[in-house]
Amino acid sequence: MTYKAGGPLPEIVKAPVTKVQFVMYAGASGDFNPIHTDDEAARERGLSGVIAHGMLSMAFLGQLAESAFEAGSVRKLEVNFRGMISPGDVITLRGHVAEILDVDGRPLARCEIEAVNGKGDVVTKGTVEAWMG
Amino acid sequence: MPLDPAVLEREFPEFEFIPERGKIREFALALGLEDPVHFDVEAARAAGFDDLLAPPTFTRQFWHENEENDPMVHLGYDPKRRLHGEQEFEYHKPLVAGMALRGRNVIASTREKEGRRGGKMTFVVIETRFTDENGELVQVARRTLIETAAPPKEAEKE
Repeated sequence: MTYKAGGPLPEIVKAPVTKVQFVMYAGASGDFNPIHTDDEAARERGLSGVIAHGMLSMAFLGQLAESAFEAGSVRKLEVNFRGMISPGDVITLRGHVAEILDVDGRPLARCEIEAVNGKGDVVTKGTVEAWMG
Repeated sequence: MPLDPAVLEREFPEFEFIPERGKIREFALALGLEDPVHFDVEAARAAGFDDLLAPPTFTRQFWHENEENDPMVHLGYDPKRRLHGEQEFEYHKPLVAGMALRGRNVIASTREKEGRRGGKMTFVVIETRFTDENGELVQVARRTLIETAAPPKEAEKE
């Protein structure tokens, strides 16, 4: 796929995240930290209830990268974790092309990307680099 | 607690990582993915992959395998003050079901920083390199773990 520097990536609005999804992700990823699956354990840590795994939000940004470009064309994905996701949150994945680099004649798009919750807070932010051809 | 210096000297042995079709489908399903390259072998092959393509953050799945091998558990961090601050993946070759990968963990860097509310924050970057049967690099993962100066709850009371 071809983009111009400054242009947006097609936005993805995820279905509201659920506690069941956190359990599925715990099993799929192997991260059984109970703050993601057990409300009582989450409250003991000072949270109001379970929160999503940070890596789930990164995986969502991986989906943004794979749908904006072709599956398998991502060269690099990096994020930092800033906020928490709670059950019921609707996560929007968005980004734009920061620049297009020429790597040995091959166009590589470097994009700024973020996952935003329903309140408009950026929960996870980073960059993706993907081959455009 | 400061970082246990012994962990910096420690060698973490190479380990096996074999992405399975069922595990790739399970991972893709948990994320709500729909692209058939993660579910349907024929579709993956039609798209030019040898088998089901693992989603970009799939190798996170190995962290829980073989815990002795995970530098994270040997850092001496207080779990209540441990944060996963940043994560990075670098892709060199498509990671598909059935590959026989070898992984190796190293502590790539450490640094300390003064916390905003006083006390030291410790940053550790764990790097994992995955190579295929031919010894070629497939993927590099970098995980930045932070031990904050105080547990978040206490920090908020200050």
